[in-house]
Amino acid sequence: MVMTKAAPTLNADFLEAAGSNLPSPLQTLLAQRGKALVDMPLPTRRTENWKYSSRYLQLSDAMASALPSGRKAGPALAFDGYHVVIHNGVVVPEASDFPDIDGIEILSFADLDDIAAQQLAERLDNTLDSNAVQMSRLNTARFEDGLFIRLKPNAVMEKPLFVICETDAHATGSVYPRIYVEAGTNSQMTLVEEYMSTGTEPALVNTVSEFSLADGANITSVRLSLEGTNTQHIGATGARLLANARFDSHCVGFGGPLRRHDLQVRLEAAGAECRLNGVAVTQGKQHYDNHTTIEHVAPHCNSEETYRNIAADESHAIFNGRIHIHKDAQKSNANMSNKNLLLSTGAEIDTKPELEIYADDVKCAHGATIGRLDESALFYLVSRGIDRREANTLLSMAFINELIAQIPVEAVRETVQARLNQFIEQTFKGA
Amino acid sequence: MANTDKQVNELIKREYEHGFVTDIEADTFEPGLNEDVIRRLSAIKQEPEFMLEWRLKAYRRWLEMEEPEWAHVDFPKVDYQNIAYYSAPKRKEDMPQSLDDVDPELLRTYEKLGIPLHERAALAGVAVDAVFDSVSVATTFKEPLAKAGVIFCPISEAVHKYPELVKKYLGSVVPAGDNYFAALNSAVFSDGSFVFIPKGVRCPMELSTYFRINAANTGQFERTLIIAEDSSYVSYLEGCTAPMRDENQLHAAVVELVALDDAQIKYSTVQNWYPGDENGKGGIYNFVTKRGACIGKNSKISWTQVETGSAITWKYPSCVLRGENSVGEFYSVALTNNYQQADTGTKMIHLGKNTSSTIISKGISAGRSSNAYRGLVKFGPGAEGARNFTQCDSLLIGDQCGAHTFPYIESKNKGAIVEHEATTSKVSDEQMFLCRQRGIDPEQAVSMIVNGFCKEVFKELPMEFAVEAGKLLEVSLEGSVG
Repeated sequence: MVMTKAAPTLNADFLEAAGSNLPSPLQTLLAQRGKALVDMPLPTRRTENWKYSSRYLQLSDAMASALPSGRKAGPALAFDGYHVVIHNGVVVPEASDFPDIDGIEILSFADLDDIAAQQLAERLDNTLDSNAVQMSRLNTARFEDGLFIRLKPNAVMEKPLFVICETDAHATGSVYPRIYVEAGTNSQMTLVEEYMSTGTEPALVNTVSEFSLADGANITSVRLSLEGTNTQHIGATGARLLANARFDSHCVGFGGPLRRHDLQVRLEAAGAECRLNGVAVTQGKQHYDNHTTIEHVAPHCNSEETYRNIAADESHAIFNGRIHIHKDAQKSNANMSNKNLLLSTGAEIDTKPELEIYADDVKCAHGATIGRLDESALFYLVSRGIDRREANTLLSMAFINELIAQIPVEAVRETVQARLNQFIEQTFKGA
Repeated sequence: MANTDKQVNELIKREYEHGFVTDIEADTFEPGLNEDVIRRLSAIKQEPEFMLEWRLKAYRRWLEMEEPEWAHVDFPKVDYQNIAYYSAPKRKEDMPQSLDDVDPELLRTYEKLGIPLHERAALAGVAVDAVFDSVSVATTFKEPLAKAGVIFCPISEAVHKYPELVKKYLGSVVPAGDNYFAALNSAVFSDGSFVFIPKGVRCPMELSTYFRINAANTGQFERTLIIAEDSSYVSYLEGCTAPMRDENQLHAAVVELVALDDAQIKYSTVQNWYPGDENGKGGIYNFVTKRGACIGKNSKISWTQVETGSAITWKYPSCVLRGENSVGEFYSVALTNNYQQADTGTKMIHLGKNTSSTIISKGISAGRSSNAYRGLVKFGPGAEGARNFTQCDSLLIGDQCGAHTFPYIESKNKGAIVEHEATTSKVSDEQMFLCRQRGIDPEQAVSMIVNGFCKEVFKELPMEFAVEAGKLLEVSLEGSVG
């Protein structure tokens, strides 16, 4: 056993003042949070929730500076819905198409009045367990702007809202996109977050999205992590659900130098339920790490979680799912499944499906597998004249498509399918 | 259900049966640990120089290490200077030559425990090495074993008689600096069993060790080393008890198994250390490192454990599957009641080609206890064609307890396949209804259901242990339904 060395701490440059365009309550919040992060230890191999990923975290000093905002960015997906563009962490209204619907408020943080900003400042980070998402605390010290969405009771957004978070990595630096959604009683919406980047300089995207769901609210969240090869991504999503609310999450991630997503869902009143689907694919020397936590705080809640990973070449995919049934959360139903495809012996997959249960009248199960493509299925296809590469691609796609097919927005589903297909085909180019 | 609850509660209150103290004269060290204590210990045992060196090295490593805190257990820090590191029943001669030489008081203790030490041993066909506090007191059936070429003796004797074997294998599976408690054990271990099965020998009987902590304020640090040469087979049983005391006692053992080509080792444990009273007072801290190395091709190591005792259990019997086609198995039933805490599981490290492992873990929590499965299944890059199947089931009895699963699965080989599944449930009302409808009283029904839940593991135990294990569950569990 090695003696523990003092863990490296966050470079002070990362705590430069931010958010000069924001209303003062938010500026105060940023300053406070920044102060609390002085000398924050960075995760190491010995940090349990970064055990497999800390070695991919490469924070250069140059990355501390915020990337400048202002360029007008265009939407990347063809779609039928509303859209908001966040460029380098700042909402760009002129490139956005805000919906004009009764009962729905969509604003940038910069446009909030002081009272609303004060309320928001008190609520930010309430959905997240800051000890578990230590790197995301940096977001609340550094965001320059953010997207605020409020659905009044019974408000329904029929068409999905696309949030395009573009990082312009033509210089080295970091961006801190932030989204906050407050869904009133029985309100409904579908939010698609797409993270993309241009440029090839090393950049860090540190993003936090939060959802607060009142009784009976229903939110579908689609999250696509599609950044380029030199962008590190540390993302956190938090959701709190009250009675009979439903949170439906679909995360699709492509590997990169460091890709991390923490998803935390708290079921806080009876009847709340969530479904979490996730797919991550890695190749080359890429990395992807999904950490999820489902807290069954109240009785009579349901959760259903399915994650699939495919790791090829010398890449590394990680899944850590935790289901925590609190003491009085009787009659909880929780199911977690994580299946992994390891396509090469140089690659690595680590998975840890955890259960922590303090109530007796519950039904909880988890399953995890790691394996390869079925040789006989492959043989079947090849013997019928399908070339090996195509057969491999077909079978790999089939492995994840079950989840992709559940994405309720057609345009997204098709784009993602095409991109995954292309990605996987590339993986088998030598086969 | 009120009536049921009452009956059930009465059942739960059944007390620890092995809680007597044996009044026996003992040589006990003053509490405290330093290099002198280790030197004295080594001197008493008249150990060769290499052993003392080995112990001191381990001690120096231990000083540099930090106590692990990652386990899902909560207890006040152990004061390692407040423990006596050696306690031995006083003897008239140097070593008991036969059972007649053993202090009759001691024999009575074992009789109370129901160990087949004497003629009963013959009937049961079990050779027993009994470890009382810190030293081995008697080893039965030396002769028939010797005839087969099997060495079965206290490890302190092996150090003298077979120094080459000890030198070669001691610490080869669990190095002295492996972890905090293993380092402590390596520094201060007082005795334990040594087993050597030569090439091609199928050990003619089950070997067995009974451990008992008797003296107050002592720690027990025994060390077991089992070596199975090519194509040999051995089945080894281990049982443990301790008297009821208010303060906590430490038990930090190390077990090392080595299996060479085509060898098979089957290691079964029924652990029933004193678990503390119903308020969580007293009980044994059971911090044990058990590991087997399947070095040879086609070798097999199988761990079976029934854990019902100890205030705190921290134990992960593991297999390092190095040889081609080697097999590791882990079958476990861990039951916690009252304020017991268990963090137990296994590690299966697949390094060789076509290695396979099976993990079946059944956790039962009742009362206010906490029961965690923690496991690691790891496939190295060379583990082509390796296979693992894991099943962890938890049963919760009562709404004050906790059941947890922390499985780590790591794979670096595309030809390896791992499957893991876990479930958590309770004794359902339907099951109870079905049994009661047929005239089975509630505590019997619970016992039946729990026994059914554990059947997969019990069937792996040698016969006499399976019976004991079943009974033990009944006693420890006691109708915690309600």
